[in-house]
Amino acid sequence: MIKLFTRVFCVLCCLVIFHKSYSQSSTTTTLPYLEGKVIDAQTGEPLRGADISVDFKKSGTSTDSSGYYRIYLPYGEFVVKIGHVGYNPFRAKVYIKGNTTLNAQLNDVTKQLEEVIVSSAATKRDIQTPSLGVTVLSLKGIKKLPTMMGEVDVIRSLQTLPGVSSVGEGANGLNIRGSNVDQNLIFIDNTPIFNPTHMFGLFSVFASDAIRDLELYKGGVPSRFGGRTAAVLDIKMIEPNTDKFKMQGGIGLVSNRVMAEIPIIKEKLSVLIAGRLSVNDFMFKWFAPTELKNIRANFMDVATKVFYRPNNKNTISISNYLSQDFYRVDSLFSIENVVAKRTSFDYGHNNLAIHWNHYFSDKLNMMLSATSTLYKTKTYSPDTVNTIDLQSSIDYKNVHMSFDYQPRDSHKMNFGAMATRYYVKPGSLNDGVVSRVARVVLPDEQSIETAIYADDEWTVSPKFTIQAGLRYSQYWRLGAGIVNEYAPGRMPSANSVIGKKVYGDGEVMASYGGLEPRLTMKYSLAENTTMKFGYNRMQQFFQLLSNNTTPLPTSRWKTADSFIKPQQSDFYSLGFFKTYNENVYEASLETYYRDVRNTLDFVSGANLQLNPNIETQLITGKSKAYGVELMVQKKKGEVSGWVSYTYARAFNRMIGDFPEIQAINGGEWFATNYDKPHTFNMMLNIQPTTHHSFSFTFAYNTGRPFSSPSGSYEIAGKRYPVFASRNNDRIRDYHRLDFSWTISNPSMVKKRWEGSWVFTVYNLYGRQNPYSVFFKSNKQALQAYELSVFAAPFVSLTYNFKFL
Amino acid sequence: MPNKLISYIFLSFVLVFMTWACINPIKDFAQIDSTSYMTIEADIVNDPTMCKIRLTSSANKIMSVLSLPVTKADVYIVDQAGTKTTFKEVTGGATGTYLPPSGFAGKVGSTYQLFIKTLDGRQYQSSQEEMNPVPEIENIVTQFEVLDQYSKGDVRRAGYTVYLDFKDSPKEGDYYMWNWKHYEPISICASCGGGGTWNFRQNTCITPAVATDQILNYTCDGKCWDISTNNDLNVFSDVLTNGQRIVGRQVARAPFDNYTPYYFRLEQRGISKSAFTFYQSLIAQVQSSGSLFDVPAETRFSVNVKSVTNPTEKILGIFNVFSVSKKIFYIDRTKGIPPGEKAFIPQVPGEMFFCPGVSPGCQDRVPCFEGPTRTKITPEGWTL
Repeated sequence: MIKLFTRVFCVLCCLVIFHKSYSQSSTTTTLPYLEGKVIDAQTGEPLRGADISVDFKKSGTSTDSSGYYRIYLPYGEFVVKIGHVGYNPFRAKVYIKGNTTLNAQLNDVTKQLEEVIVSSAATKRDIQTPSLGVTVLSLKGIKKLPTMMGEVDVIRSLQTLPGVSSVGEGANGLNIRGSNVDQNLIFIDNTPIFNPTHMFGLFSVFASDAIRDLELYKGGVPSRFGGRTAAVLDIKMIEPNTDKFKMQGGIGLVSNRVMAEIPIIKEKLSVLIAGRLSVNDFMFKWFAPTELKNIRANFMDVATKVFYRPNNKNTISISNYLSQDFYRVDSLFSIENVVAKRTSFDYGHNNLAIHWNHYFSDKLNMMLSATSTLYKTKTYSPDTVNTIDLQSSIDYKNVHMSFDYQPRDSHKMNFGAMATRYYVKPGSLNDGVVSRVARVVLPDEQSIETAIYADDEWTVSPKFTIQAGLRYSQYWRLGAGIVNEYAPGRMPSANSVIGKKVYGDGEVMASYGGLEPRLTMKYSLAENTTMKFGYNRMQQFFQLLSNNTTPLPTSRWKTADSFIKPQQSDFYSLGFFKTYNENVYEASLETYYRDVRNTLDFVSGANLQLNPNIETQLITGKSKAYGVELMVQKKKGEVSGWVSYTYARAFNRMIGDFPEIQAINGGEWFATNYDKPHTFNMMLNIQPTTHHSFSFTFAYNTGRPFSSPSGSYEIAGKRYPVFASRNNDRIRDYHRLDFSWTISNPSMVKKRWEGSWVFTVYNLYGRQNPYSVFFKSNKQALQAYELSVFAAPFVSLTYNFKFL
Repeated sequence: MPNKLISYIFLSFVLVFMTWACINPIKDFAQIDSTSYMTIEADIVNDPTMCKIRLTSSANKIMSVLSLPVTKADVYIVDQAGTKTTFKEVTGGATGTYLPPSGFAGKVGSTYQLFIKTLDGRQYQSSQEEMNPVPEIENIVTQFEVLDQYSKGDVRRAGYTVYLDFKDSPKEGDYYMWNWKHYEPISICASCGGGGTWNFRQNTCITPAVATDQILNYTCDGKCWDISTNNDLNVFSDVLTNGQRIVGRQVARAPFDNYTPYYFRLEQRGISKSAFTFYQSLIAQVQSSGSLFDVPAETRFSVNVKSVTNPTEKILGIFNVFSVSKKIFYIDRTKGIPPGEKAFIPQVPGEMFFCPGVSPGCQDRVPCFEGPTRTKITPEGWTL
């Protein structure tokens, strides 16, 4: 591994910097010399002891106390590097035609502006705040990470951070600190995203050009966020520049992108338009076998934002985010219980947000927002007598008023109120469609969730800060609707229905509510060392019903009702943070424990999609997760990056109300699909010049659990496995190395149009990492197989441009 | 329902568009747990040749084919009128297999319950299962189709896909299953590789200490057929198509490995809801698995048979009460062939063994041994 890494790096260095074979000759006075003075760029002080290297070899020469050096060289061309401990090295190409002077100014690494890729709670700024488990990622930083097929990918980038993982490559959504994917709230400009990926999990839905930054709350979730029991990923779109027209974009293997910031009224009104369109269809036409040439697979994102600042006290923004996937397959596949020849499939979001910010004074400002998300899915097969048209949708609407108030320097308060309406169409098959296939329409579901909240960050002393918050959420499941009544003491099933209760439109069918305390505390042990403690309680009234390894885009979302209780979690975390060498290095150690009630699992062979009585398919239980995350970062300098190690566990215990029938794994705790105890991540960015940068990411984790059979049995002359326990074994460990090389502005001439190339290799050494282990049966015996999703190196080249 | 569709779609996406994906067999799979369970496979059918109950202990290894038979059990069924039918264990060879009195067949509309008492005193009892009617197969369509996911030279690539049509009854809750049998007439009844020869006393090949490349083939001593059956389970529910005429349901595929007529004995079964859910779980475990969206691999224990003596005991298998309608037909493999397609006729390696001209006592014809994959009994409806 290390050998490979070294080799690749060496080859690349040779590619970047022109190399000429050179054997260092002995210093003689007959040769011309190269001399100069080396100073600190900020202070102008001469630097003593700076080493001079020529053509990558140490010359043995270093600067004297006045910063002066002289070295004798033969006539010709050389690459000279001047380096000093604590300073960024200086490199230059020198043509020796006679005695030559080369002065150098070196930048002190500690005084350099950091290229923020990840800023955790350990940054100098944040070390003084009590925020815990909060990570800020800049898009500029994310773009430096190697990508899969050249697509800048938020979800994949987040997985390089400790505590963030997924079931496997190509999986949909994130598992953060032992959470299920639906327990994390993903916001883009305060509108929720219900399915964060395109192409069934291959790419993130977010058009990277339109994103300003991301905040990931793994713990310490402020009270303004609610409705989910784990983490919050808060993505903010760019506020378009009101002064200057800007455009940027890219052409890649999978998609093409363009983004423009257009000022309409200088310093008052501007518009952002960003789009991404996939172009992979042609590959099927070119490369696929005849039967698959008609496959269509496309996706797109369009983000628009209008930003208006009528005066210094008010800003208004309207943002819209559209995402769409389309997929069609011919003749090979059919829906179970329906005979169909061709099937199309599409899904997408349409998010709209209006924000008004008003600044009353230096101490008080207000944010008022109205947001909506419409997430729709459609599966259809129009060209047969067995027409299928299966649709579902989630209509989310929210109003939110929030105030920031800072009465004194020692108090920062945030308080507000919000109301959300969920209108879910869980599934309709062939509604208004002529077909031999039946019409099945599940009743619509309507729910209201309201919340009031307040947070206060109180600086008790320079060493001690406390951020205390309280949120009260109230939830109503509203009619119209019909609820089955089941015989007492019997498991809900078609056979145990004893009656039905009918609710009128708007009538309360079920209601839940509760307080959600939030607390984080910071205590400074020393100037650069802090200790933090956090506690959250959170409730979730809206959850995903999916028993697949990773959820399908069409998986059903369900609001809490009289059978499905809201999930409730308690989260405790403790962290130590330390910076070294004037913030060049940071180290953090965080540990957490999470306990969740009313989590859901499903009966064996559960039918979730078009089932009007979903309660007959559910098993309720508990989840718990705990872990330790250790991270060390180097934030500045020619070489920057981080290494992290995480020990994390996540378990479920599903007993249900009727344990003798429903209990999974005999009612014992079992590992979740995403329980990966050991994770090691490394990210390394090397920027030898302003025009080139190289990045490597390495990921290792323990293989995820799968259910291993305890034997086999025969039915009708064929053998089948016996699965007696859930997730009792693990797939092989996972590891992968990625590489990217960015060449910025290759012409090296400053122009308004600036191009750059990004060359990436995903899975550099082509490891066939398993995604799952499964079994196939034949007449003789069973055979175990491994599925690997990205089992070879993926090479891609992307051209990006900026027009400033 | 559509979950599986999307799994297939994604798998196709991964396997075709992203040719980097792959599925590899695990050669040294190590099992971490091993347990045996009582296994009951009971078929009560309206066809007297198909009624059979098999009791075994499941193998505790996935690579094992050894399932110990549960012998000398008291096995009987009781219908809705209280009529008891005792199943007797087959003596010799296939122990653990219990058969009803000769000529017994289930009746459509009747309800049956299974009772078992093993020699060591364990008692099992099924729920009452009704024999549902099954409609006749109305129409069979065969169509030459090339499956491009298989490379040229792969026998699975070209073949005749078999579709059928039938009319679902107006009654809700009908469940179907299709099985087929193919009988292939054979002339070679034994092949001895490695330089071996057939020992007519031991009825097996005897290979010399030093193996050679020689392969000897032996002619059958009479008519003989190899039997092949469907490898995949194929079930269907009328939940979305109740009362409709079901058209174009794919039920089988015949390989294009010759131009001779291809014999099919196709069964359409009307199964119970519990059998349908049982087979669905098997399909999820071994047929639909291997996608990104697999459902948890779970075995459905004690589906419709439970232990009376130990209610917590987990039981494998199914009490399968079903009716069956059959269709026997031949596929004409000289029709519908697109230009450029030729039958992939497998060549039998080796040479035929014949007794030299005058060699008293020499035998060169091997008997056709009766078994699950071979028979000398002329198949039903055989016209060739």
